[in-house]
Amino acid sequence: MIKTIRASKSEKILFIFLICLSIFAFTSFFLLKNKCLFVEKNNLSNLYFNEPNNIAVMNVECGNVIIELYPDISPKTVERFKILIEKKMYDGSAFYKVSENTFVQAGDIEYGNINNLDYSKIGSGNSGLGLLKSELNNDFKFTEGSVGFARTTEFDTEDSEFFITLKEIPIYQGEYTPIGKVVYGLDILTKIKTGNKAIYVLRPDYIKTFRLLNSN
Amino acid sequence: MKILILFVFIFQISCVNADEIYNLLKIPNLEIYKLKNNNNIRYLSAKGNFKIGINKNITCEEVNINNLNTKFPLIEKNLNRYNSNFLNKIKLKYVVFCENLFISEINTGGIPDIKNRTLILDINFNKKYFERMIHHEIFHMIQNTHIKYFDEDKFSSFNHASFNYAECSTCSNRLNLDQYEKTDGFLTEYSKSIPSEDMAEIFSFLMTDKETIEVKINNDKILSKKVNYIKLNLAKIDKNIL
Repeated sequence: MIKTIRASKSEKILFIFLICLSIFAFTSFFLLKNKCLFVEKNNLSNLYFNEPNNIAVMNVECGNVIIELYPDISPKTVERFKILIEKKMYDGSAFYKVSENTFVQAGDIEYGNINNLDYSKIGSGNSGLGLLKSELNNDFKFTEGSVGFARTTEFDTEDSEFFITLKEIPIYQGEYTPIGKVVYGLDILTKIKTGNKAIYVLRPDYIKTFRLLNSN
Repeated sequence: MKILILFVFIFQISCVNADEIYNLLKIPNLEIYKLKNNNNIRYLSAKGNFKIGINKNITCEEVNINNLNTKFPLIEKNLNRYNSNFLNKIKLKYVVFCENLFISEINTGGIPDIKNRTLILDINFNKKYFERMIHHEIFHMIQNTHIKYFDEDKFSSFNHASFNYAECSTCSNRLNLDQYEKTDGFLTEYSKSIPSEDMAEIFSFLMTDKETIEVKINNDKILSKKVNYIKLNLAKIDKNIL
């Protein structure tokens, strides 16, 4: 005859604790690890734009970042930016320089592509299209979501790298060439991996695709 | 535990503070002090110590904000004498305030950096020479952006044939900044160090004590030639500065 052994009170508590622990571990792994969980994806078919020719869509891990370009403010720079997008040169470009809640930077075509990252040279690469003259605008305010063309410490050294501000940065006014502004998806950019306190990011996030709206 | 604390400490001090100002000027630990000014100079202050330059040979410390608040009106008054057009020509846009500025372990009042359009100022520099020091450092920016106007060989030729400058500004012990009673071609002992310092000393006196210099040059032919050379060439850049 088999005798039924009833669990003691402490065994029951331990059992419940283990169940709670496993539920917590499960949710942590699948939910908390997913940084894109609560981010709006920005479905393009639901959006309307006044000037679709000047809309660019940058697809990253958490969804679409939609940028309105300003050719009236910086004609040569926007023209270059569109060429780089049309040639798909930004696809795979790493956000190698990120300052938390401040700015993200990508676009080193030569050394900053996820398939060919060179940490010793990143930030110094060229697109092969030559340098551009800075198109500075003293009235353009680098508010949250502004897109600017990056340069070295010298003016007229813009090539392909760009940055997007995640907060207002008044000191950038008149210092960098404006390209445009993020109209949808700024919260997506706040999810880009940062380098903690360092300005450069190890194993960075990257741009999946970057397209002009009209070419989609 | 001790190893962990040591690791955290090393990590903290070895990381460059990643912020928007560092991204622009390559100087860490700065914050905005005053951004909007008539001549477009942007004032920044050190919120922490920093080390920059080749082999981190330039060091400076965090400013005491009360100290800066006290000294800022004097600094601003002096810098407001330069208009934005002139400042553009000499590539000066940012003035960084810090305390106890050293270059290669030598204490200095200011360091101009044309590449980053920045002038770093030690707000604790000797009060007696402080205003002059500001204009002195600005002259270095003027000279570096307009080398053809301030030819050192031409300027040196005004001296007695027997006089020789030192090899560099810190290679000699000619460091005193007090004005000579009897000038004999030089306003201070430091003027005798190298030609660019001599020019910068003249310019700084012209900006702060022009009347005295005008009197001195009546009895000092060498100094008179030097002052006229500075005035003449400065007028090529901006007629209204002096």
